[in-house]
Amino acid sequence: MKIDFTINGKPTSVDVDPAMPLLWVVRDELKLTATKFGCGMAMCGACTLHIDGEATRSCSVPVESIAGKNITTLEGLSESNEKLHPIQQAWIEEQVPQCGYCQSGFMMAAAKLLKENPNPTETDIANSITNICRCGTQPRIIKAIKRASEISNQKI
Amino acid sequence: MSADNTKKGFSRRKFLQRGAIVLGGTVVASYLGCSPMRRFTAQKAESMDLPAMMSSLQPDFWFEVLPDNTIALKSPKIEIGQGVFTGLAMLAAEELDVPYEQIKVEHAITTSGLYDEMNTGGSNSTSSLYESIREVAATMREMLKEAAGKKWGVKASEIKTENGTLISGNNKITYAEITKENKKWDIPKTPELRPKSAFKVVGKAVKRTDLKTKVMGTAKYTLDSELPDMLYAVLLQSPYLDGTIKTLDTKEAEKSAGVVKVVRDGELVAVVAKTFYAADSAFKKINVEWNTPNKVQQADLIKLVTVGNGKEVNIQKEGNAKSIIEDNKATVFRQEYRTPMAAHAQMEVNAAIAHVEADKAVIIAGTQGPKIVIDTVSKALDIAKDRVEVHTPYVGGGFGRKAVKGLYVEAALISKAVGKPIKLYNSRQQEFQNSLYRPNTHHVLQAKIAQNGEIEAITHDQSTPDMLKNLMGTDLPNKILGADFISAGHGASFMYHFKNKSVSVWNAEVPIPIGIWRGVGMFPNTFAVESFMNELAHQTQKDPIAFRIGLLQNDDKISVRGKKVLEALIEKSGWKTPKAEGIGRGIAIGNDRKSIAAAAIELAIIEGKIVIKKVTQVLDCGISINPEGIKQQIEGATMMGIGAALYEEVTVKDGQIEQAYFSQYPMVTLADVPEIQCFILEGDDVPYGVGEPPLAPIAPAIAGAVLDLTGKAVRSLPIRLS
Repeated sequence: MKIDFTINGKPTSVDVDPAMPLLWVVRDELKLTATKFGCGMAMCGACTLHIDGEATRSCSVPVESIAGKNITTLEGLSESNEKLHPIQQAWIEEQVPQCGYCQSGFMMAAAKLLKENPNPTETDIANSITNICRCGTQPRIIKAIKRASEISNQKI
Repeated sequence: MSADNTKKGFSRRKFLQRGAIVLGGTVVASYLGCSPMRRFTAQKAESMDLPAMMSSLQPDFWFEVLPDNTIALKSPKIEIGQGVFTGLAMLAAEELDVPYEQIKVEHAITTSGLYDEMNTGGSNSTSSLYESIREVAATMREMLKEAAGKKWGVKASEIKTENGTLISGNNKITYAEITKENKKWDIPKTPELRPKSAFKVVGKAVKRTDLKTKVMGTAKYTLDSELPDMLYAVLLQSPYLDGTIKTLDTKEAEKSAGVVKVVRDGELVAVVAKTFYAADSAFKKINVEWNTPNKVQQADLIKLVTVGNGKEVNIQKEGNAKSIIEDNKATVFRQEYRTPMAAHAQMEVNAAIAHVEADKAVIIAGTQGPKIVIDTVSKALDIAKDRVEVHTPYVGGGFGRKAVKGLYVEAALISKAVGKPIKLYNSRQQEFQNSLYRPNTHHVLQAKIAQNGEIEAITHDQSTPDMLKNLMGTDLPNKILGADFISAGHGASFMYHFKNKSVSVWNAEVPIPIGIWRGVGMFPNTFAVESFMNELAHQTQKDPIAFRIGLLQNDDKISVRGKKVLEALIEKSGWKTPKAEGIGRGIAIGNDRKSIAAAAIELAIIEGKIVIKKVTQVLDCGISINPEGIKQQIEGATMMGIGAALYEEVTVKDGQIEQAYFSQYPMVTLADVPEIQCFILEGDDVPYGVGEPPLAPIAPAIAGAVLDLTGKAVRSLPIRLS
């Protein structure tokens, strides 16, 4: 089935099984590999991307349901390689990643949180982001989200 | 270049043979470890630490000056998130006189670069190369100086090196330019290394070299890698331990859209298709019934792993502790501890890409052990070892799981069967149920407490399955050593000075595949030994830190450093300040691979749930190379330790691992983050391991805080308050 949507600002069309999870469309068909496979059951958050601005675990979203929608992956989060999204700036300042594998999902979830709640408390952060990281970068993720909040607020 | 044996100490005896340096596209000097077995044995005996054993099948290289004046460094160690690329770049920069960011680190490809015959693991990646990488870097710098000296007609010793440039008076040339011009290279004697006092970058907190690529999402892992014309495979794996195929029907799978072939070769069954989605969809149409010969139950496992079963190997003995305990059976203080099995649950599942042609295999795999990939794939395909080329992308977490038993052998066999490159990876369920687990353990600790409260004698008996067998693929270590005290028994000994002490490891055999896990022996042993220490302090009404310091009064290095770490912990954690209402405080210390880590923890119990409020960690890891990287490791180990203490447990039922999904294996989340403070001490003049040591004290410090708060001791993990 042919499905049209926009990804990272680019109108795109794929011809695939409508039940194919969005994650595999993004990774294997469109070769955007920042979005990761972690569990395939929407439990870990490694595959988090934005569908019409909503942070969504793409491993459990059939591609047919996104026809006509706007998808943003980590590749499309920043304006350019030099002009980073506040979340990415903060992730670098606070030196969050270790193995790095889960970070794309965390950053996408965090970007959505900041949009909704520009000054999240630690409790807000913990309540809204339930992704898993095995390297133990959680302390820095919290710091980085707070730092990103400062960066965003300065910009306004 | 001849071996330089003049420097003091085994690890400084160097062994330059052929060339690890590429200049102007030609291999000009090589650097190999000395006789690996000799060094292995010597260092093993000395420190129970695993050295790096360099090996390569072809001319090796570590460094290459590139035309843009950056320097390529092919790392023999694997970047699994621990920051080894950054540490190695910093060490090289120290002798090369270039900013460390100008050194582009990537994994060595096994057929053209130097790789480590030992797995990347055991917390030794950076420390084991501390001298060798600087020696090669210094040698290269001298070669560049010689070349510039010839060009300008000045002595090499009169040439300065700065920022990747050679300078003499008004003469200036970059490393890249002289490399391009010069054709004949002389290999000098290994230069004297710069002393620590002259370090410009080592010891400074710097940013990881892989930070930007990981934040932009451009870092490539195995799952992101590709080969031209690649197909995707999904492998049938038994959800039961030792399960074999009883009946198999693949008719529907074969007809499924996009399927190229269903491979069947004995127990090896895989669906190969044009996309992963097609392979996975077809895979779900396979009907299979399993023979389930292994019926092991959790209760069997507990029974098998019990002190008194199997062979006893005494690993520490001073005085006559055993007879004192035996003679005072009725009055000794005796406690038992248990730790459960655990999973690695690394975020990137095991994955491999294989392309097998006639007598050659290319493997892309995020592995901690390229040598094991070469050995097992060459054996499975019956081809020469030098015909297996291993590429390692970034690794999405290992924690020991990527040491052995990845999917590379299966991927190679499937690729051979279809004659094309294939990509294969586990589902999360397969990752959980077809793994190698941190083994469960049992500990009996006994102490004879004298009238005055002193510990007259102490013993620790621990039962653990042998994991060297799975790691090395042979029963030999067990036959030689008697029990696995190197990995599973690691940390069982007492670091304290008791007049009479005895420690034994009892070798258990279990029908479960077991393997390395971050701090595998240290974690259970430190939990048992340090919990017992906390209980002894409680029993004798002593402050748990003062109690330990009192037992570290000798002048050996470990005692002196251990005492300093504890003294720092008292100060940094505010140990002596009054506790807030409802707060319990606990501490623990561990001596792991010559690093000493101690943690103080404050917690509360809120609605029946342990809430960790504050963790103070003090780590003495000798010289610190990148303090920021060390902090990352301490924080990571702290979070993993909290999860292991409070939540994590793998269990078995009817021969099946019961945890198949993340929902069945809870781990820490953002909600579990306490205030974490990290302090680094430099108690020695060489670097020691960082990745595992800070994990060990977390569980016993939590247990100690529960004891402090409730008066009740915790003796098994995960901690469940009744």
